[in-house]
Parts: sequence; C-alpha cells; structure tokens
Amino acid sequence: MSILYDEGQQAIATESRRAIEARVSKDDLLPLLQISGKYHEGFWATAKEQGWTALALSEDYGGLDLGLVELGLIAHQAGRSLSGAPFLTSSFGAAKAIELYGSDEQKTRWLPGLASGETIGAIAFAQGPDPLPAAPPVRLNAGQVEGTAVGVSGGLFADIAIALVSEGGSPVLAIVDLTGTERKAVDSFDNSRCIADLLFAGAQAETLVTGDAARAAALNILALQAVVTAHEQTGGAEALMEIARDYALTRKAFGQPIGAFQSIKHRIAELYGFVELARANAIHAAAREGQDDFITAAAAARLSATEAYDTAARDCVQIHGGIGVTWEIGLHLHMRRSRTLALEQGSSFFWEDILVDRLAGAGA
Amino acid sequence: MTDLGTYRAKAAAWCESMVPAFGKAARKGLSVEEDLALGRRYQKAKFDAGYAGINWPIDLGGQGLGHIEKISFEGEEMKHGFPNVYFGISLGMPVPVLMQFGSDREFVKERVLKALQGEEIWCQLFSEPSGGTDLAGLRTRAETDGNGWKINGQKVWTSWAQYSDYGVIVVRTDPTVAKHKGLTYFWVDMRAPGVTVRPIKLAGGDSHVNEVFFDDVKISDDHRMSPVGGGFAVALATLMIERYVATDSAGFGPHLDLFVELAKEVKLNGRPAIEDGRIRQQIARNHAMRAGLDSINRRARLMMQAGMTPGPEGSLNKLVAVRSRQKLSELALDLQGTGAFLFDEHASPKDDWASSWINAPTGRIAGGSDETLLNTIAERILGLPQDHRPDKGIPFNQIPA
Repeated sequence: MSILYDEGQQAIATESRRAIEARVSKDDLLPLLQISGKYHEGFWATAKEQGWTALALSEDYGGLDLGLVELGLIAHQAGRSLSGAPFLTSSFGAAKAIELYGSDEQKTRWLPGLASGETIGAIAFAQGPDPLPAAPPVRLNAGQVEGTAVGVSGGLFADIAIALVSEGGSPVLAIVDLTGTERKAVDSFDNSRCIADLLFAGAQAETLVTGDAARAAALNILALQAVVTAHEQTGGAEALMEIARDYALTRKAFGQPIGAFQSIKHRIAELYGFVELARANAIHAAAREGQDDFITAAAAARLSATEAYDTAARDCVQIHGGIGVTWEIGLHLHMRRSRTLALEQGSSFFWEDILVDRLAGAGA
Repeated sequence: MTDLGTYRAKAAAWCESMVPAFGKAARKGLSVEEDLALGRRYQKAKFDAGYAGINWPIDLGGQGLGHIEKISFEGEEMKHGFPNVYFGISLGMPVPVLMQFGSDREFVKERVLKALQGEEIWCQLFSEPSGGTDLAGLRTRAETDGNGWKINGQKVWTSWAQYSDYGVIVVRTDPTVAKHKGLTYFWVDMRAPGVTVRPIKLAGGDSHVNEVFFDDVKISDDHRMSPVGGGFAVALATLMIERYVATDSAGFGPHLDLFVELAKEVKLNGRPAIEDGRIRQQIARNHAMRAGLDSINRRARLMMQAGMTPGPEGSLNKLVAVRSRQKLSELALDLQGTGAFLFDEHASPKDDWASSWINAPTGRIAGGSDETLLNTIAERILGLPQDHRPDKGIPFNQIPA
C-alpha cells in the first residue's frame, strides 16, 4: 500500500470532512459532556449512512474491502471535528478480531451487523494501567464469563465485546455477547465516549484464540485500533494548530497581531512539526497493515500522535489566553478528547515498551 | 524491479565497490590535506562512473537525470562515509548558480567540468560578521573601478574557502537604497590579489570554515551574475537550488541503532540500561521522530517520481533531526559516564557520540538556525506575520546602527 493518497482516497477525505462538518458542531458536543450515557446520534447515523462502519471490512460479510488507509482518512476528519461516539474505532477493532481469528460461523453471525453499524462492538482488554494484562482477571468457564472489565469505551451501548480473559490460568481472546450484561456507567471527563464497567455474570462467550497466541492477537487488534486512533489524534492536533493560527492572526496586543510575536509564532510552528510527524507516521503505519513491521510502525504512529494532540491541546489553549479556558469556546473539548484518546488503546508508556522491545531485539 | 529500483541497486553496488579505496578505514589517520587529495580522487571516480552532476544538463557534463536519481544515489553514498564533504557546498550551490546565471558559457562549461571532477572547488561568500540570517544587511561593498569593480570588506563562516579556487559573492553596490535592493552578485577568483583567507578553528577542533577578507580586489564586469542591484534575487535562487537533497533523519549524527547497542552494553544500577525506563523512553521517542521524518522523505520521493512537488513538511528535517541528535548525544555520553571522556577530535559525528555532541551546535546554526527555520515555517507555511523589522524600506545607509 502506497503512502501517497490516490484520487479515490482523497475523495474519501473530502467527502467525510463535508459530511461530519455538516452534522457535528461544538454546540452539540458541549451539552453531551454533562450527561452520562449519551453519544452524538447524528455522528453515528452519518457513519452508518456513509458506509464508514463497513469500509475496512471484508466484502464477504458486508464490508467494502478497503483498508486501514481509508479508515484512517475518515478517522482524521472525525478527529478534526471531535467524533461524537467511539464506535467507529471500537466496532472496527471488534470486527477485525472476528474477521482475523473467528470461524466462518462466527463471521457470518457477527460481521454483517458490525459492518452495517446495527451491531456495536467494544474492546475489553485493559485493566487500569495494563492494556494487555498477562493474567486477565475476567474468567472464562464453560462458555461463560465472570468478573469485571473496567473502563470500556463504548461499553454502555456495545452488543458484543472482544475480551481478553483467563481460562484455567491461560489467556483467551473471546467474543462476549453482552445481552443481559450489567453495565455501570463511568461518569468521565469525556462523556460521549459512553465508558462503562462491564460486570460479567455468566455472559455467553466464544473462544477466538487461546494461549500465547491470544495475547499476540490482542496486541494486533490493539495496534489496528491504535493506528485508527493515531489518525484521529492527528486530525484533532491539526484542527487545534489551525485554530491557534487563526486566533494569532486576528487577536491583537501592543498594536500588532499576537502571531507576530515569536513566542507565539514559534509555538505554532512547533505544532506544525508535531502534526506533520504524526501524520507521516500514521500514514506509514496504515500502509504497513499485515506486514512484519506493522506493530513497530503502529507504536511509532501512536507515540507521535499522542504527543501531537496533547501538545496542541495544551498550547492552543495557552495561545488563546483567558478566552481559551472558557466553557463556551470549547477548546476543552479537545483537551478532554486528547487525554481520552491517549488512554484508550494503551498509554504512551505501553507503546514505548512495545517499540523498544522490538528495536532492541531478543533479550531486551 | 522498477527503473529507479535498478538505478539504486547499481548505485549501491558501485558505492560498495568504492569502500576499500575511499571508505572510513581508508580515511583513518589521514591529515585534512591527505583526505582532501583522496576526496579529489573519489570525486573523479564518481564522475567517471556517471554519478557526478546526476541531475545536471548533459551538455555541461552532467547526466541529465532527475532529482529522484540524485537523492537515490546520495542515499546510498551517505552510508559509507566517503570523503565528499569538500565538494558539498561547491556542487550544491555556487556551481549550479554559475550554470544558471554565468554569462560566458565557454567559461561556465570549463568550470563545471573541473568542479565535477574534483579539480576545482567553489565556495559561497554570503555571511558576514554583521549577520548571517539577515543576509540583505551585508556590508561588503563593490564600487565601480574603470570598466570593472573593486571589492572591499569581509565575509565569514565560508566553508572550505581555504581550498577554494573560486567563489560566488553578494556585495553592496548601492548603500542609498533599501537594503535588499542595493546588492549585486559576482563570482571571484579566490587567488586574486587582495583576497585573504584565514581559517577559523571551531569548537570541535576542525577548521572547515574561514574568514575571507577583500582589500581592493579588482574584478571585471564579466564576473557579474545578476543585474546591478539585482543580487538578492540570485542569492535567494542559490538557496532554493538545494531543495531536493538527500536528508538524514539522524541529523547527520549516529544512527539510533548505535544508541540501542550502547544501552544494551552499559549497566545502570546493576541492570542493563536498555531495561531502564528513562532510556527506553528516549529510544522510543527518538525512533518515532526519525520514523516520521523517514516517512515524510519517502513521500516526497514518491511525489517527485509522480511529477508532483513535495509538500513543505520537508523543511522539518534539519530542525527536528539535528536538535534531537544533540540531546541523544548528550544522553549517550551520560550512559558511558567517565568512560565517555576519551575524545578523538578526528572521529566522525556519524558514529562517535562525543564528536556528534560537540559538533551538533554547528548543525543547529549553519544553513538557517532553528529560530530562522521556525520563522520560515510560521510565515511561509502557516501564513503568520513577519517579525517587526525596523529597517524595512529604509535606505541602507540610514538604518540606525
């Protein structure tokens, strides 16, 4: 896959931008922050109408057979406009787990719904600071799971979860049917993520992968999601860089636009650097899907993108001065989202270790 | 394999074959003069093999190929540490400008051929003691002298001037107009009476840059390469010529692999440093940065191959790579502790951490300082305002000192 977008891919970028900007606004997103358990329905409806839920899935099961590069372009635009729900990434991760590791029967059962968006998927690997616990506390026994998955994005509305669980002391990657599972909403600083603790009490589960391979499979799913998220983070960072630039051009102090002061213009130029490095790494990683170095490329993309979005959120608010910290201007939507996306799919600490293990080779 | 793939593979094989004669081992222990002599032989070998002037016109001795072939070759060449540094500026800027703006075509052709074969070296006389970034503020002046000109003043930071046969120079020919309107561009014979070159020893111990003094240096008007008063435009053209150069995400310092190897050998608190979170974080961050630059550069090459103009993000290379090389080099010295004190001032910054560290500031200043590059990104790419410039529009001789 080339890292140079072709015409079709550029059209996806343009069209998704138009569609999201027409449907999602800051004024819709601000009230969602103060309500637990609601997402932006217009955003998710758009994603389904536009076929984004099907984009990167196999044609055999209702998908459009495109890949991570194309989904990345959508995610980039979603990041620019602050996507109103986490399902584009979480359902994609769940569907890829079934597509890559499931049986024909499992694929037939779950993939068409995930592709159309009627079924919502979530990923339940993490336990607090550990994105891929070696001994997952959720237990699988005779096709049923017991235990709690903490802080699952999209968990409030998900129909199925792909979970990393333990069976007889060994890890298992499993599909858990969430019908009837109790969800405890997490009232978070970014409530449209619909985060929930999943309180498993005998939920039906099917095995996808067992043993050491389960952990490797889970890492691969996490990396696929991390690359989608890296595009989303890059989009957010890019939007903030532009907002900062526009503000610096219009706001005046001491008789000139504040953008003429080097302390401001250099800060924005540095953001440009962060954004372009993140973009380059994200495109590269998307193009490496399925290759030997995919995990390494995904880790680099993830680290650059988290750094770019966090820095842009910090600096954009700073450049705005007092107005930047008001509720109404909404820059805090990006502050909140930058931290949410930094925590979903594994923190920078996790990806640093994944990356260095690979760079240093065996024995490190 | 694509045509370009074949080209690159052949270039790689040729470079490999040159290692015994011109590689790092062959250069070890040579004085600068001996190394320069070896470099001239290497440049001749390059010319004979068709790797000199790759993207230059055939009728001037070049190969008539594209930027993409040039940077493909340079990407291979860069791996071996050949003695080509003496010709980098010469063939990078002054000689291409001579090709573009030199009026006497026979003279131009002769010079280009000699420069391509390493027989002659050109330098670029731009920066002055009063300023480098503010090029248009230069003070060296040329006054009419009969049918020609007489140059007086001083240039500084001139790379390889002590070995140069010719130079291109920007001087002030009219101090009564705004600063960038009173400049004219010439070439000069570095052996002409009145030209004095004095090497400057740099912090790292080497002396590749010089002060160059001009005392009543007389040149004829056929040395002029711009209209009188039109020198600034040619100077800008000079700086634009080398937009497509092979870049190095290591910032022309050591590869990250060397740092990883060091971290595996060294122990911190009794454990391999590679297991230390602080070291791991630096490795990961550095890798992510370098991978980003590599991807930017790969995309630029693909765009060139497709006949498109690469995006402006290529301007990040030097800014980002060199300052992170500086920090990584400090950290590599930290890792070695007192074992890092042993210093070889002739070691290469590409594989020696102390050499990389002590020479890094030069990289952050030469060819546009970090601050200048940030200004360029802010103004040219992002459309932010220029800094306040009190000398704007004022005749040069009325600018407050």
